[in-house]
Amino acid sequence: MAEITREKKPLKSLVPAPAAGIISLIVPGLGQVLGGKVQRGLILLGSFISIIGLLGWRIHTLAHREPDAWAKFVKALDRRPVFILVVLLFIVFLWLWNARDAYKQVKEKKRGNPIVFVIILAAFFTLGLQISQVDIVKMFVELPDAWPPLSRVLWPWEAAITHETDEIGASAEILIGCDNTPPAIPVEVEGEPYIMADPTCGELSTLDENNKVIKGSTITLTGRGFAPDTETLIFWQDSLGNEFRPRQDGKYVSVMTDSKGEFIFDLVMPYRLIPPSARGDQIHQVSARQVTETGVISASDPLKLTIGRMIETIFMGMMATFFGIIFSIPISFLAARNLMSGSWLTMTIYFVTRTILNIVRSIEPLIWALIAVVWVGLGPFAGIIALTLHSVAALGKLYSEAIESIDPGPIEAIQATGANKLQTIMFAVVPQMIPPFVSFSIYRWDINVRMSTVIGLVGGGGIGFLLVQYIRLLDYKAAGIAVWFIAITVAILDYVSSEIRNRFV
Amino acid sequence: MLEIKNLKKIYDDGTEALKDVSFDVEEGEFLVVIGLSGSGKSTLLRCINRLIEPTEGKIIWNGRNIPEAEPAELRNIRRQIGMIFQHFNLVKRSSVLTNVLSGRLGYVNPWSSVLHRFPESDRKQAMAALERVGITDQANKRADELSGGQQQRVGIARALMQDPKMILADEPVASLDPVLAHTILGYLEQMNQELGITVICSLHYLDLVQRYATRVIGLRDGNIVYRGTQEDINRMTDEEFKEIYGEEAERVSAGPKAKEGTADG
Repeated sequence: MAEITREKKPLKSLVPAPAAGIISLIVPGLGQVLGGKVQRGLILLGSFISIIGLLGWRIHTLAHREPDAWAKFVKALDRRPVFILVVLLFIVFLWLWNARDAYKQVKEKKRGNPIVFVIILAAFFTLGLQISQVDIVKMFVELPDAWPPLSRVLWPWEAAITHETDEIGASAEILIGCDNTPPAIPVEVEGEPYIMADPTCGELSTLDENNKVIKGSTITLTGRGFAPDTETLIFWQDSLGNEFRPRQDGKYVSVMTDSKGEFIFDLVMPYRLIPPSARGDQIHQVSARQVTETGVISASDPLKLTIGRMIETIFMGMMATFFGIIFSIPISFLAARNLMSGSWLTMTIYFVTRTILNIVRSIEPLIWALIAVVWVGLGPFAGIIALTLHSVAALGKLYSEAIESIDPGPIEAIQATGANKLQTIMFAVVPQMIPPFVSFSIYRWDINVRMSTVIGLVGGGGIGFLLVQYIRLLDYKAAGIAVWFIAITVAILDYVSSEIRNRFV
Repeated sequence: MLEIKNLKKIYDDGTEALKDVSFDVEEGEFLVVIGLSGSGKSTLLRCINRLIEPTEGKIIWNGRNIPEAEPAELRNIRRQIGMIFQHFNLVKRSSVLTNVLSGRLGYVNPWSSVLHRFPESDRKQAMAALERVGITDQANKRADELSGGQQQRVGIARALMQDPKMILADEPVASLDPVLAHTILGYLEQMNQELGITVICSLHYLDLVQRYATRVIGLRDGNIVYRGTQEDINRMTDEEFKEIYGEEAERVSAGPKAKEGTADG
């Protein structure tokens, strides 16, 4: 038996072997071309030119401010010596090897040695490392930086709940300036927190012309009836009702209660600008408050928002699938070859429909979402439009293929019983179509919910919208909650849709 | 009861499947059509109930010319003619019962049938038809869960539901194990003899032809090349058989004893 060989007989060499080597030394690859290995020579030449060109481009980007080529090279060499030297080494090596290769190829007429292509690949790999800014060292050195966000995303559940707090407190009035009658000390009620100031009037801290604080009067605060051994926060309210926490030595003022729930300490009256238009007695208020967790747990805002948006996302996917099915069913009939092969007119409709479907399908839903956001504004409706367009195209194609693959046998058999057109469709066509239709539709719903999480990133509503906000706010725990919900929903949906498909097919 | 005169069929691609076919069928006959694949057997059978539109010629069914029938009349004629197919042509994903009931589509109210509503009498008839072919217990299974032999029995039950005067059987046993061929053809013979249903059946194996046919016509390249009665067939030699089938034909034995094949459940 004759041996089957796909290899073409090598062309006869036009030049002797040493000449081929020298020619390749002048123009890489030309020696091989003249030696009859046209493809090999062209690949060599192309690679050689690309490598030099890419190196030149990188040198230019590394030192684009330098005026001339030499200065650029020196600057670039200074910035990335290893990269440039390695690539140069490859070029020189490739150049010499290519000459040797040309010589050998012509002389020995053997199948090509692949080493030269390994060198080319290695050169491209080196270039690729630099062009795509791969930095392995950084990857390992800065690995710990990944941990804070990652840990928060992986286990965000502390942020899913909030503890309800209980606040107790008491306040006392202070008059600014002791010219008029100072307010009386508050009346103490048994069993309730109580605070009194002594004296109940004084001067606020002020600023001099150098913005240095001139301390105001010192008042003694005495508290009773608070929770024992608990931090108590001090608040100050000015005569307009604006409240703030006074600071002393740069720290917010707070005090620990003793074992009886009492405290006593001195407070320098804080700085507060009294507007010149203020009339009458300036009565300020000082208060002490204790905040304790009551142990009652409730869902946090991120959790509530995430659940709401997740529901929105699932329904976005559902609505898009629903609209997609409605529009794609009639379109799928136009895109089914077996139905449309009747005349040139129907074939034209078939080709036009198919082309449009292919174009719409090849545009990512993300792009459609960008367009839809401009069209109907931010929100889930834009996402639904984007997903619907994509679903119509994808389902139209799948449905039409299902129509194309129906078995004509049952149609023939039902017709032979004397059934009319409608009966034939209901008994022979529909039963064959339902399983693939259901299967594709469920699958599409699955895809649409998954996609609608992404659509939100560009403003198409749903959980993606929330997720991208949390990421931008660096609130990784809240983002983690959203990520978890997406993962759980997709997993459940995956399972449910495959179950339904198994039942129907 | 059926007269076929100068029947001709040329397909769109120019293939002349039937050139000039004329023959008569008497009531109660078991007429077997033999011939190679591509000789025009399937085309001939499908022209009779116009699953394929004949190009020329007359098909007279009880005085009516089928090629000229209007759609409503055609449906009326079709429901009197049952058909059995080589590949069974069941709706695979529907239940056996639905497949059998679909044989009634020519009789029932089209609107209620679309919703799969059939009169109770039809359901009883369907169970009776399944009983006749011995697969009552399979009624609620999906058609594609059945074996080939069982599926063809469903096909027969479906044809039976039409209360047919005639049954067209297009290679009913060609895709079945030879052992099963006798079972299936046995049912056809039973219907032919007990219910007086005329049968036109295309077959491949000479043994089966000799066993079941009351009359035979042989087709070759769209022409009738052989006509014979039951006695003629029983005397038929391999040489005559080869004349119809061409050189490559073999006398394939399909007797139950000759084949130690797997029986069908």
